[in-house]
Amino acid sequence: MISDRIRRSVRSELHSSRLAQVGLALVVVIVLMATLAPFIVPHHPEAQQVGTGDTEDRTNLPPIGFSTEHIQTTPDGQTEIVREGSLEHPMGTNTRGQDVFSRFVYGARVSLLVGLLGAGIATVLGVPYGLAAGYFGGRTDDALMRGADVMLAFPSLVLAIALVGVFRDSGFHTTGLPDPFVYAARHDILGWVIPRSDHVASMPSSVTFPVTVTLVVALVNWVWFARVARGEAISIRQQEYVKAAKSIGASHLTILRQHVLPNSLTPIIVLATIQVAAIILLESALSYLGFSGTTLTWGQDIARGQSDQRSQWWIATMPGLGIVFAVIGVNLIGDWLRDALDPSIEGEGGV
Amino acid sequence: MSDEELLRIEGLCTRFFTENGQVNAVENLDLTIDEGEVMGIVGESGSGKSVTALSLIDLVESPGRITDGRIWFRAPDIADELIESGADDEVTDGDFVDLRKLSEEQRRSLRGSRFSTIFQDPMSSFNPSITVGEQIAEAVEVQRRARANPRSLDAKAQRYGLGDYVLSTVLPSKKYVTGASRDRAVELLELVGIPDPVERADEYPHEYSGGMLQRAMIAQALAGEPEVLVADEPTTALDVTIQAQILDLLSKLQAETGMTILLITHNLGVIARMCDRVGVMYAGEIVERGTLEDVFDHPVHPYTRGLLGSVPDLEGAGGRLQPIPGNVPSLLDHEMPDRCYFADRCPKAMDECLEHPPAFDVEGSEYHTTKCYLATTEYTEEKALPDGYFDEAGRAADVGEEPSETETGIGTGTDSETETETEADSVQSDGGEPR
Amino acid sequence: MGLGKFLVKRTLQGLFVIWGVVTVVFLLRHLTPGNPVNTLLPPEASQEQRELFAERLGLNDPVHIQYYDYLVGVAQGDFGVSMATGRPASELILIRLPATIELAVAATVVAVVIAIPLGVISARRRHEPSDYGATIFSLVGISTPNFWLGVMLIIFVAVQFGPLPTGGRGPSFVDAMIATLTQGQFRDGGIVEWGRYILLPAITLGTYFTALLTRLTRSGMVDEIGKAYVKATRAKGLPETLVLYKHVLRNTLIPIITVLGLQLGTLIGGAVITEEVFAWPGLGRFLIHSIYQRDWVLIQGTIIVIGVGFVIVNIVVDALYVYLNPKVDLE
Ligand SMILES: Nc1ncnc2c1ncn2[C@@H]1O[C@H](COP(=O)(O)OP(=O)(O)OP(=O)(O)O)[C@@H](O)[C@H]1O
Ligand code: SF4
Ligand SMILES: [Mg+2]
Repeated sequence: MISDRIRRSVRSELHSSRLAQVGLALVVVIVLMATLAPFIVPHHPEAQQVGTGDTEDRTNLPPIGFSTEHIQTTPDGQTEIVREGSLEHPMGTNTRGQDVFSRFVYGARVSLLVGLLGAGIATVLGVPYGLAAGYFGGRTDDALMRGADVMLAFPSLVLAIALVGVFRDSGFHTTGLPDPFVYAARHDILGWVIPRSDHVASMPSSVTFPVTVTLVVALVNWVWFARVARGEAISIRQQEYVKAAKSIGASHLTILRQHVLPNSLTPIIVLATIQVAAIILLESALSYLGFSGTTLTWGQDIARGQSDQRSQWWIATMPGLGIVFAVIGVNLIGDWLRDALDPSIEGEGGV
Repeated sequence: MSDEELLRIEGLCTRFFTENGQVNAVENLDLTIDEGEVMGIVGESGSGKSVTALSLIDLVESPGRITDGRIWFRAPDIADELIESGADDEVTDGDFVDLRKLSEEQRRSLRGSRFSTIFQDPMSSFNPSITVGEQIAEAVEVQRRARANPRSLDAKAQRYGLGDYVLSTVLPSKKYVTGASRDRAVELLELVGIPDPVERADEYPHEYSGGMLQRAMIAQALAGEPEVLVADEPTTALDVTIQAQILDLLSKLQAETGMTILLITHNLGVIARMCDRVGVMYAGEIVERGTLEDVFDHPVHPYTRGLLGSVPDLEGAGGRLQPIPGNVPSLLDHEMPDRCYFADRCPKAMDECLEHPPAFDVEGSEYHTTKCYLATTEYTEEKALPDGYFDEAGRAADVGEEPSETETGIGTGTDSETETETEADSVQSDGGEPR
Repeated sequence: MGLGKFLVKRTLQGLFVIWGVVTVVFLLRHLTPGNPVNTLLPPEASQEQRELFAERLGLNDPVHIQYYDYLVGVAQGDFGVSMATGRPASELILIRLPATIELAVAATVVAVVIAIPLGVISARRRHEPSDYGATIFSLVGISTPNFWLGVMLIIFVAVQFGPLPTGGRGPSFVDAMIATLTQGQFRDGGIVEWGRYILLPAITLGTYFTALLTRLTRSGMVDEIGKAYVKATRAKGLPETLVLYKHVLRNTLIPIITVLGLQLGTLIGGAVITEEVFAWPGLGRFLIHSIYQRDWVLIQGTIIVIGVGFVIVNIVVDALYVYLNPKVDLE
């Protein structure tokens, strides 16, 4: 399905385009970060370090290279306290003394998982729908696409909010996904092969995964796939080889599977890539609003940073940078694939 | 034909600076055009005809640039004005001004008023989303505004502010064009023979046929009552019967207005029918020029002869250029050797031809010149370059140093049949805008 | 087919879409897990009270009757009564509509005013620093979540510089204009105060569109400038600015309008979240809070109003497209 010609043009585009290289580098770094989170982070992302008499207060520490000063009033009078960022908390800590960097790294997990799974489900829903509509045409097409138009006639974020609002009360709103590295590290034997196994073992054993949010983002975005797939199917339907296949009595399903689908793959791949970026943005918005049911996500941390004291700018800034870099990376990869595979594809439905 | 010079182009060079290197699209071109005549330019596709026309009206676009040469244009009023404002004789020469020395704004003001242009493909030369009448009216309007303030060349009394520009992107430009210009546009449409001009003026380009639209373009070109009409292959995109109508129209208008026409074409029949004088272009140069008679009856340059020899019937539709054996020359600077550019295709290439020929006057006629040694020397067998001299090996050496004849010539002498036939004709129907 | 007929057809299609939205919204509520009565009444309410409450909300009728009643109500502009406050939903919704429209329009104006010149400049000076700047700006702008941008503006701009508030809305645009024009009042209740409040939210909501529009304008202009008619138009002697704006930009806008029409949903979605960030008292914030409170009547009503607005704007965009593009086939 992926010919040499395509592979070559993808590679040559990567060579010639600086932006494509940047995008690839960003995505690789973020994927590694998300996968290897337990090895990378210096602290447990949820561990709080609020000063309680005998433990040191480590809240609101600034990132490395910055310092804060504030006046503390004690019975002996006023003292000025200057706090310097340190390597221990490279991005500082939040109002609960949680390490912002560790949360930043873990936040990438939810964003990427939702982005990839959401786009995957949307593809699985939208592509067959669109292919069927385009391939059969006529009434079938009308009926199918009318329905899709109603979906399109809806601002996706509004729809997503409404749907999440509905399913928020269901039992499957979130689920815990076990972290294999942590399990291995805690295992008696496997623990030996895991580097820094003590450290890894102390990490959270599962990631809270927002099931409804993933389903909802897929539900609001599948229409784009249906549209693109339909357009492709319409043009492929008229090709000679499809007519030939029909004339020798191939079934519709065979034709769809063997001819229509493979030949419409390129724009679908490009769209799927761009949609990953769109979905990461959508997920972050939903978790910012507090609808996702998870607490360890970039969006949720931004919301906290906003409501927490605003002089601690890093709390909201860092997770936002995570989103921006991830989305830029994925978008650049989308541009790269589009330029290499099919420059005529519009960025429609993206971001 | 009043026999008075109107335009004198000297040593014009226009180059494109592309990724593959420098393209010498127009190379050291000399040309004079008299007032009221029809001057033809003919040549294969890619020989630089369109670029010459664009250089004349200063519309060569990046990555292209006019790098050298002068374009003297007789315009006593402009010359006076320039002298008044203290211009030196670099800029003016009697009644003539060097267009290249004028400011961009001044050159723009000459477009439409002194120089009008008709392009090859009328369909793509009109803005698809504005009515034909409106577009012609624009051309009228810009001249009307210019005349309203004739003293100043650059401030053309445009009084059209930023707000108007912004509005004009959304509203169909009610503002720029006045009713009077619109009426004039309808008159012009009528003049070029469009039936129901009033209704037609309100139609969009896609509602016109190709021939109609070419008439409309001529109407648009007449809007500013230009002195020079540059017609770049005005009939190439049209059917044969319509071609004849358009040519008739041009002849008629030329007779009525006495304007000067620079007619660019592939079609020798068109040249024969329309032109007083003709220049033959090859690889960015005019290789031969003279009156119609000079060039058609006494051609000197083998390229001209090749063109003519392959045309059985000049008047008919078959008057198009026929293939001449050999490769269309590369215009890339680093691939252009310092010799006659035609030498590798020339059946009479001789020793002399390894040096680039200057323009020689051909005896017997005042205007007749050619860039070929045959104008001065007799071709003899001894001087002839051996067959296959310019094939692969020879060429490669040629680009570097001057090859000695014996070295490369004999070695590759046997495989002269490798030259490919290129059909000038097959390339000619493209948009004329090689990229 | 004339423009009028076309509009009628599109309006009918729009009505169909709105009917779909109403239906979906109605079904959503019935899909909701949990009995609305339980979520609304305090746990200590008696069984009797619960039944009475359900009766009053019409929850005991068969679904199709409820659906019919709801459709009829909506058609008459009656969305029901807020479960939480007991006030008519339509009233609560409509008073919040102007704030949202104002914000969306302001953001669109910001986007158009910045993006089009930027795109034009970028296209004119291709491969110059200003072009790279614009390209990077549009890449970053498209990839930045607007709520985060809003938070950043609050932290780094509003908190640092006094005159820009961190949230809330000043006088409405109409009131502010009246105060300024009739009483010469700029600051208090006037246009300046209006501007102080709307500036950051409008930038927040507008950035994505500025970026998108810059990108589209640039690539569209680059395509368009290469076309033969541009050279022909220049050859007529028209001033360059006129060539660029009246001819090139106008034709560039035609495809852009289609894309923007498709992106309207993003604008509305963005408005919802921008309102939440800046505590802007519009429909979006209202919707979010209704969801927090599970006030279904309000959620349904708000979504329907947003859907109607969306359909209307879409028809306007289509009409604009037809108007600008004489070649469009209205069939
Ligand atoms: N925009 C451009 N960029 C690079 N090279 C160009 C450009 N326009 C023209 N050229 C070069 O200039 C040369 C002359 O082109 P020109 O259009 O003048 O040919 P022509 O004689 O008009 O041919 P035709 O009969 O096909 O119209 C061509 O070989 C082409 O390579
Ligand atoms: S100069 Fe020589 S090579 Fe060139 S055309 Fe004349 S004879 Fe042929
Ligand atoms: Mg040409």
